[in-house]
Amino acid sequence: MSQIARRCLPLIAAMALFAPSQATAQPAQAANTCLTCHSTLADTRLATPAKLFSGTDVHRERGFACADCHGGDPAAAEKARAHDAAKGYKGAPRGQAQITACARCHSDADLMRRYAPKQRVDQATEYATSVHGKQLAAGHTNVATCASCHGPHGIRLVSDAKSPVFPTNVAATCAACHADPRHMAEYKLADGTPLPTTQFADYKKSVHYAALTKGNDLSAPTCNDCHGNHGATPPGVGAVSNVCGTCHAVFATKFQSSVHAQIFDKGCVECHSNHAVLKPSDAMLGSTGHAVCATCHSGADDKGAVAADTMHGQFEQLEAGIRRSGALIGRVKNAGIEVSDQELALREASTKLTLARTEMHGFVPASVTPIIADGAKIVESVDAAGEKGAAELRFRRRGLAISLGAILLLVVALGLKVRQIDRRSHS
Amino acid sequence: MVKGVVDWLDERLDLSDLKHFIAEKGVPIHTQEVWYYLGGMTMFLFGVQVFTGILLLLYYRPSSAEAYESVQFIVTQVKFGWLIRNVHSWSANLLIALAFAHFFSVFFLKSYRKPRELTWLTGILLLFLMLGFGFSGYLLPWNELSFFATKVGTGSAGAVPVVGHFMLRLLRSGDDVTGATLSRFYGLHVAILPAITTALVAGHLLLVQRQGMSVPPGIERAQKAGKLGPLAQMKFFPNYILRDVLAWYVVLAIVAALAAFYPWELGTKADPFAVVPPGIRPEWYFLAVFYTLKLIPSHIMGFEGEQLGVVAFGIVAIVLVLVPFLDRRASRGERSPVFTVLAALGLVYLIVFTIIGHYAK
Repeated sequence: MSQIARRCLPLIAAMALFAPSQATAQPAQAANTCLTCHSTLADTRLATPAKLFSGTDVHRERGFACADCHGGDPAAAEKARAHDAAKGYKGAPRGQAQITACARCHSDADLMRRYAPKQRVDQATEYATSVHGKQLAAGHTNVATCASCHGPHGIRLVSDAKSPVFPTNVAATCAACHADPRHMAEYKLADGTPLPTTQFADYKKSVHYAALTKGNDLSAPTCNDCHGNHGATPPGVGAVSNVCGTCHAVFATKFQSSVHAQIFDKGCVECHSNHAVLKPSDAMLGSTGHAVCATCHSGADDKGAVAADTMHGQFEQLEAGIRRSGALIGRVKNAGIEVSDQELALREASTKLTLARTEMHGFVPASVTPIIADGAKIVESVDAAGEKGAAELRFRRRGLAISLGAILLLVVALGLKVRQIDRRSHS
Repeated sequence: MVKGVVDWLDERLDLSDLKHFIAEKGVPIHTQEVWYYLGGMTMFLFGVQVFTGILLLLYYRPSSAEAYESVQFIVTQVKFGWLIRNVHSWSANLLIALAFAHFFSVFFLKSYRKPRELTWLTGILLLFLMLGFGFSGYLLPWNELSFFATKVGTGSAGAVPVVGHFMLRLLRSGDDVTGATLSRFYGLHVAILPAITTALVAGHLLLVQRQGMSVPPGIERAQKAGKLGPLAQMKFFPNYILRDVLAWYVVLAIVAALAAFYPWELGTKADPFAVVPPGIRPEWYFLAVFYTLKLIPSHIMGFEGEQLGVVAFGIVAIVLVLVPFLDRRASRGERSPVFTVLAALGLVYLIVFTIIGHYAK
């Protein structure tokens, strides 16, 4: 594109915006008196939007101006003309009007292709299917709309770490309303019980939150990964394992084939909880103590309890074997014996243990046993190599002791010889 | 039998001069005589290095693809390979420690004074060569620590004014530490440095034999003042040489014990694309210099701090080489407390900065 064409483009865009027959939103490049006035106002409610919009704002950076959302005449110097309804002034759009204002561009595939070709354009449609959208349609103006999550001004790209919808900030953004009992007081669950406000506190205890915030794993799930973002809604009964299975695919497949898939109302949540998903451990499996299976299964004649105890025992046995072998080859390694092959084999044994734990979600001990047996065989071979290393170490030290003894004898003999020669020299 | 061989050689080569030299050579006996043995111990460890180094050469493969694996093969598969490699590593460190001890003992006893300037010169060059052996040998196993430490070490050479970039490229065989650097260090370690060292050791020994052992200036002054009579002499052969051998055996026992009880770790294979692991530092004998360069501010009076540091160390090295010519008082047999104090300060600096450098994060 030529230099002249590039310079003329904003002008053409501005002309298109103000042309009566053109209803499509276009970046306004003309004088913007909105910022001139609003940034000097003493009322922070009116001045803050101007300040935020003048800072980092994805829309301003792409050439959009206040009038593109608020209407009015940005070229007018007086308030009355600038806020003239005849010039399309609509003030701060709220509720459904806000959805419409945002959707005017964000649902326009043609327009969005010019700015963000990969971005979806069905946010408004999705929003209408969400709990938020439905509540809004039912007259609840207190629900979240676009600006509630993205902010009204100073809007940043989702990939910007300071954006309220950046993965590490999403939970806090949702919690602004969902953790506020006063805000949520008017909303009830389907059975009439009050909507809980502990989700954020629970989520903060979860392994997912730890992975996201401490492990810096941006792919770890936050609110919108399970509930959806624009179409936010709680996963329905029966859909939970599908939601978890998005990431934990193998676990979900095993679970779907299990007897529990038909019985568990809440799928994965029955054992792992929903927001407070703790780090799973072998202690969850079994029919005693704090094992989750014990909630339903107990006693020697309960097949479920026997299966859980069997698998638990197998896991513990293999894990103890890996630990013991690890300690043995660690000792040998510290003493200078090369054990990198054994270290690799132990990692393979740990993989077998992980595989067995995955297989466990089918709740059939017979399919877990062969995997555990493979792991045990590896541990056995590592143990043998570790013992061989320990024997080699003993041999080395014995050899050294003998060599040192021989050297010591030589030193003593030499010392005696030196003394004898010295005496002879003196005499 | 030995006599038979000597007679056979004598008949053909006329060894009477040599026999006379051995029969007549004596070593003065005095209170500081114990320090004489440090040189012999250092030379013994050099012999150990040559012997174990040749054995390692039989299996070592000097390429970035095979170096690590070949050392791994030596310590795991080759019969007594672990012992040879551990002895080589430990002996190298002990050798440098003894070389420093020998250097400081010679410095404090002012043994460098006239007429032994050339002995000092060959000795100090040998000390630098030993450090060169340590630096080049450290990279050869091609493990993570040695790779990044070499990167840092050769990077410091780049800070030398004017010729820095040329030196860096000369050392690395390119702009970065690669397999080409390994080949270069290998050549340096097993051919160039040993050739120069052999020549210098021969010269050093020849000078020591020719000029005899130096008597400390304090004892010489006492003799001149009449407070001390002529020093008793110990026959070099066999009295002194047997003591020397005894000291070598003690060193051998220490190296063997260290090799068996504290095996030298091989670490993980170097990955040039890996993130620099924390705590990268050179071998202990470079720690004081490394830590000092770290402490120097990045800019001093418009000059780059590291550049100034490298220049300062260069000047110190040149001054050390020239010590016999600078310490005129010692040459005249007078007291030279300035050089004694400087040597003491240098020793304290090396010890303190090595310890701090070891524990610094």
